Amino acid sequence: MKRLSRILLLVFLLGAFCPSVFAAEAIKVGVILPLTGKQAKFGEIEKQSFEMAAEEINAKGGVNGKKVELLIEDTQGKPDVARSAVEKLISQDKVVIIGGGYTSSETYAAAGVALNKGFPFLVNTGSADNITEPSAFTPSGQRAEAMRKKLDGEKDPAKKAEIEKEIAKIEQAADMEVKALIDRFAIFRLNPPVSEYAGSLESFLAEVVKPKTVAILHENSLFGTSGAREFEESCKKLGIKILMRESYDAGAVDFKPLLAKVKQADPDLVYMISYLLDASLLMRHSMELKMNPKLFAGAAAGFTLPEFPQNAGKASEKIISADLWHQSLPFPGAQEYYDKFRKKYNKDTEYHGAEAYAAMYVIADVLKRAKSMSPKDIKDALSKTDMMTVFGPVKFISYDKKVNQNKLDTYVVQWINGKLEIVWPKKSAKAKYIYPVDWIKERQ
Amino acid sequence: MVKKAVPFIALAALLVFPLVVKSDYYQHLMILVLMWVVIGSAWNLIAGYTGQVSFGDAAFFGTGAYTAGLLVTKLGWSAWWGLFFGGITAVLIAMPFGWICFRLRGAYFALATLALNEIMRHIATIWEKLTYGMLGILIVQTFASKLPYYYISLALAVISLITVRLVMRSKYGYYFLSIREDQDAAESMGINTHHYKMISLVIAAALTGVAGALYMNYMGFIDPHVVFSLHDISIMAILVGIVGGVGTQYGPAVGAFIMVAVQELFRTGGYGLISKLAKASGSETIISLSEFITKAHVMGFGILVVVAILFLPNGVVGDWNKITRLVLQKKIKGG
Repeated sequence: MKRLSRILLLVFLLGAFCPSVFAAEAIKVGVILPLTGKQAKFGEIEKQSFEMAAEEINAKGGVNGKKVELLIEDTQGKPDVARSAVEKLISQDKVVIIGGGYTSSETYAAAGVALNKGFPFLVNTGSADNITEPSAFTPSGQRAEAMRKKLDGEKDPAKKAEIEKEIAKIEQAADMEVKALIDRFAIFRLNPPVSEYAGSLESFLAEVVKPKTVAILHENSLFGTSGAREFEESCKKLGIKILMRESYDAGAVDFKPLLAKVKQADPDLVYMISYLLDASLLMRHSMELKMNPKLFAGAAAGFTLPEFPQNAGKASEKIISADLWHQSLPFPGAQEYYDKFRKKYNKDTEYHGAEAYAAMYVIADVLKRAKSMSPKDIKDALSKTDMMTVFGPVKFISYDKKVNQNKLDTYVVQWINGKLEIVWPKKSAKAKYIYPVDWIKERQ
Repeated sequence: MVKKAVPFIALAALLVFPLVVKSDYYQHLMILVLMWVVIGSAWNLIAGYTGQVSFGDAAFFGTGAYTAGLLVTKLGWSAWWGLFFGGITAVLIAMPFGWICFRLRGAYFALATLALNEIMRHIATIWEKLTYGMLGILIVQTFASKLPYYYISLALAVISLITVRLVMRSKYGYYFLSIREDQDAAESMGINTHHYKMISLVIAAALTGVAGALYMNYMGFIDPHVVFSLHDISIMAILVGIVGGVGTQYGPAVGAFIMVAVQELFRTGGYGLISKLAKASGSETIISLSEFITKAHVMGFGILVVVAILFLPNGVVGDWNKITRLVLQKKIKGG
């Protein structure tokens, strides 16, 4: 009996390793996503979208006759685990390109490895601005950045000029360092950086709402903090007075003290950068406090998720948010992707999913065009990308300090009768925005 | 005789390891292991030997990491200076904390360390002028190769093990043990328990701070939630200590290895073996079951830790005889 079971085990093991021999023909693509932990919800949507796209690509014959094999590794949203995952994908699994990257901290960790090896990495969600800025990865570039922060606090003009001179000098050195590094810089990004998320919301505010004062509430995370800072800058440009900027720990249970403070300050606009649960609670509590500013606006993330109206109930109605994508946009396949996802996984998808789905198609396209599977050739192919995806046109360009960055339009959406509709910019709008809103009446 | 040789054999093996195993992936995992050896043995000194259980190692770890990072961004120094200054700043945090909180005993002290952890995380988050808040600090890694990081980590791990060994062999060691066993008795013997608890904490904090600086150098990116994390750093430090063996010389070293290896084993689903086996079996149920297992890796890891604590209360090193007995018995039965 014992011997038999041993033989069985042996056969089993052999069987396990044999398919891997036959599957050697496949092109391996590594993806890192947070599948457990706080961010798992988004990681899951992205994982399913990646898988769905890969299945479709393989069903249509794969890439140049070869199948694409997806290796999706869990990062738990932590940088050290992300690094383990990337090192494993590159040196053990021998993938030819890395995709994914959800939280900014895991994307930084993966970017460090990719940069060391000159390995191609297509980021699809990690949104910290400097991920596609090579100067951020050089010592002088970082020093210049730190000096610049010092400049903000300096009032004496003579000293200011002196610091500026020094910055210019350091930046020259940084340029040299960037030149030495740029050949290895194979980090590309599909989604816009966080500073551009609110692009069309700004024009909406400037042209329609024209608020005089604003209160900014944001979660304590890289996404929240940098988004809030960028929005502060935009407010300064638009001449909106910032009454307060308050942060909270994601997952707070009671927003009433914070909102009571906001109510007292009485701003025209309440701008919030929050994920799902916080977004829903913020809206519900604002309803209970009978707040009535001119506008509640969210910065994508939690405010555009399908679960938002379910959790916030009627407090979600007429809320406006910045958004990166919507299935009704006139991109080929956008609506189909949305419907297919619903059918397959029996739940809604949103912009993160579309990013992942588009990223898989970009990767397939790149692998098709690459001369060989060497990192250098794949990098070249990536930089020549020019294609249409469900997420919009993808083309990697350089501007300001950024390189390999895809430039995308952003949108303003509004929850109208429980449905998320694009209301701005006018050329993409599918519904007329509803403004002004009497929130107290609306929410009775 | 054999037992005495084990650490030297292990050290020799570790010295040649990166020359034999060229894979970046395994070298990376070993660097993490060696970093946890430093943190684990520091925790072991204060909690295992001195009996002052700390739930807040991340406070010192994060302080060290931030010191290294800020030296780069604020002063333009090399982050490697952090290995020296990180330890010092961690001590500067530890001293006032210990001076105040060592009046507390047992669970109350543990809670105070927990609070310290959270306080430090909030300071790092809110004080944006100094720490850049949640934007974190990104620095450039000095070396593209893993070898320098590996040997520096190895050196630090050896230094921390030797430090703990030397301290425990000196008269301080006996004082620490007497405080752990019975603080009142120690006091009545004329030992200034407050003073010696402080010494133990300061050594532990310094080592943990150095480990934090190493993390900054190696990973290149930190933010408050990463390095002041309660569950990823503080609790992990405790688990390394407990699984390896509380109050044993080499327990934390073994614990670090087990924790990193097992965590990675669970995360990757037995390095992809589970899913391969499932696919080979061809059965739908087994495939979905294997998918479930790989997805529930965090839970599996947790269960394993619970089992280890239940059945090996003294850790792998502390209960080594128990383990060998169990295995031997099995062999006798099986044979």
